[in-house]
Amino acid sequence: MLAERLGDDLRDLWTDEDTVEYQVDGARAHDVLATLRDDEDLAYFMLADAAAVDYGPGAHFEVVYHLFSWKHPGWLRIRARVDRDDPRIASITDLWEGAMFHEREMYDMMGIVFEGNRDLRRIYMSPDYRSFPQRRDFVLPDDAADSPAAGVNPLERPETWDLTRFRDAPGVTFPPSSERADAPGEAVEAGETMASKSRPR
Amino acid sequence: MTKIDPDITIPDPIDLDRAEEERLRAAAGLTPVRTPGGEYAGFEQVGIPDRPPQTEREREIYTLDEGEMLVNMGPQHPSTHGVMRLVVKVRGEIIVDIDPVLGYLHRGIEKLCENATYTTVLTYVDPMDYLSTMHNEHAPAIAFEKLYGVKAPPRAEYIRALVVELNRIFSHGLMMGFLALDMGGLTPILYAFINRDEIVDMLSSISGQRMLFNFFRVGGVNFDTNDEFLSRLGTWRGRVLKNIEMNERMITDNEIFRARTINMGTLTGQQAIGLGVTGPNLRASGVPFDVRKAKPYSIYNELEFDVITQQGGDSYSRYLQRIAEIKQSIHLIDQIIDKMPHGPVQAQVPGIIRPRPGRAYGAVESPRGLYSVYAISDGGPNPYRFRMRDPSFISLQALPKLMPGRLVADTMAVMASLDPVMGGVDK
Repeated sequence: MLAERLGDDLRDLWTDEDTVEYQVDGARAHDVLATLRDDEDLAYFMLADAAAVDYGPGAHFEVVYHLFSWKHPGWLRIRARVDRDDPRIASITDLWEGAMFHEREMYDMMGIVFEGNRDLRRIYMSPDYRSFPQRRDFVLPDDAADSPAAGVNPLERPETWDLTRFRDAPGVTFPPSSERADAPGEAVEAGETMASKSRPR
Repeated sequence: MTKIDPDITIPDPIDLDRAEEERLRAAAGLTPVRTPGGEYAGFEQVGIPDRPPQTEREREIYTLDEGEMLVNMGPQHPSTHGVMRLVVKVRGEIIVDIDPVLGYLHRGIEKLCENATYTTVLTYVDPMDYLSTMHNEHAPAIAFEKLYGVKAPPRAEYIRALVVELNRIFSHGLMMGFLALDMGGLTPILYAFINRDEIVDMLSSISGQRMLFNFFRVGGVNFDTNDEFLSRLGTWRGRVLKNIEMNERMITDNEIFRARTINMGTLTGQQAIGLGVTGPNLRASGVPFDVRKAKPYSIYNELEFDVITQQGGDSYSRYLQRIAEIKQSIHLIDQIIDKMPHGPVQAQVPGIIRPRPGRAYGAVESPRGLYSVYAISDGGPNPYRFRMRDPSFISLQALPKLMPGRLVADTMAVMASLDPVMGGVDK
């Protein structure tokens, strides 16, 4: 049934005892989900989960949607691939309003930009935070000298600060850096730590 | 912003009714009050450093019309059920808009779990939703068992279902108490805690801990039932219905309680599905979605029960739904004890497991709704990615939709009826 309706978009069928899994292109994810929700025979009316997975530097991101329908026995998992250097995907908040917090969390933790989401800001971290802590290259501090995390400052990863390339994304209005009153990314001087800079004054 | 001519004096707009105010402004050649994108003056008012808004929605909520102001509710408000801040835009006593600000309890549990072994993950997820600890462990246990390809023995599954239903009963019982507490009734919460303590003591006699049980293992549970547990269970079972009914009699027909919950915070089924609301809140809106029935896990397809729904969708229906589910859980516990088989409670699983690379999704019905875990294994001893979908985090989105036009005092009443737990919201 799924393959009939969405033959070209769905790839790589994979199943386990109660899950059916397909992969789609990131650019087609929104349309596929809209069809899955609106088609009467499919009727995946509920978004059970939306999560982002990082496959590490040099690889890609994945946004994983889990859907539920009364008419089908298993959970449906849709894995949408997102480019890691330019992580953008269409927002599904127009299909499910409740995807808002999911997408805000994915943006906060992974830095994936959801185009068309009108409230894409940080949800757990503070607004002046500039890193994406659940990426694979954001390593937790570790005392062991041979660990990849030895000597890492766990609070911020400066190379992920620059968000200006997302300035043109619809629904995301990043202020120009000159207007930013409290912009730590640009204003950090040598020797000054992020913690002292981001404290409210 | 329009420059106001200093020669023209306009009376304080709050003292005038809206039409008169508009007439005066028109006569003075000024723009109408409700211009989109009025004066942007929000951040200073709620005590955070001034900065430009980042999104349309942020601009919307921090832009004030005349007569409106922003108030912080929390983060240390006594009835926010944890540490959460609500930025409330009010016009007098009427709520115009709400913006929940989260993250005060954020511990990064998902990231921590990526650096922990599979067995250790089951201890990290405990303090998430600290009122439904057993459910928190159940979903990862299901997902990891799928990944590792091991099945828990039947007796372990029955013990799991038993402790999970006990946990649901005290969680729902506390919700009844907190709902009354947030409307000013102190007594029900005391009785709710007495009932909770009986169950928590019972669970501590089987698991060894009182709040963060750490009872589930990959491939079973930690301990078999013991005499103390069974004796406490029997004593509790003998008087639980009487206790619940006493609590119910105290609240259900209370005039103040009814006045403040009936037709308050009404969610339609369609709205609730769109917002991702699940669990008792969704069933109180008439949608019969219960993971125990829809995608049966553990032993729930061997038990007889129906999905209970209410039709109202308001705070009162959500309260009635909890009571009905408590009674249903007691019914389930009776069946579980009748059918419980003998046998081992743990499969043979090593302490550090290395599942084959793969993905697994485990979902359970927690007292707050669909709690699910998506785990990815890369063949190592730690999960490559560990994702938890916490129901109270998603259900919280309903609050800003329900409150506009209501009184400030009702915010906490409606929020308590949605029953979020901040440990789960902030992960």
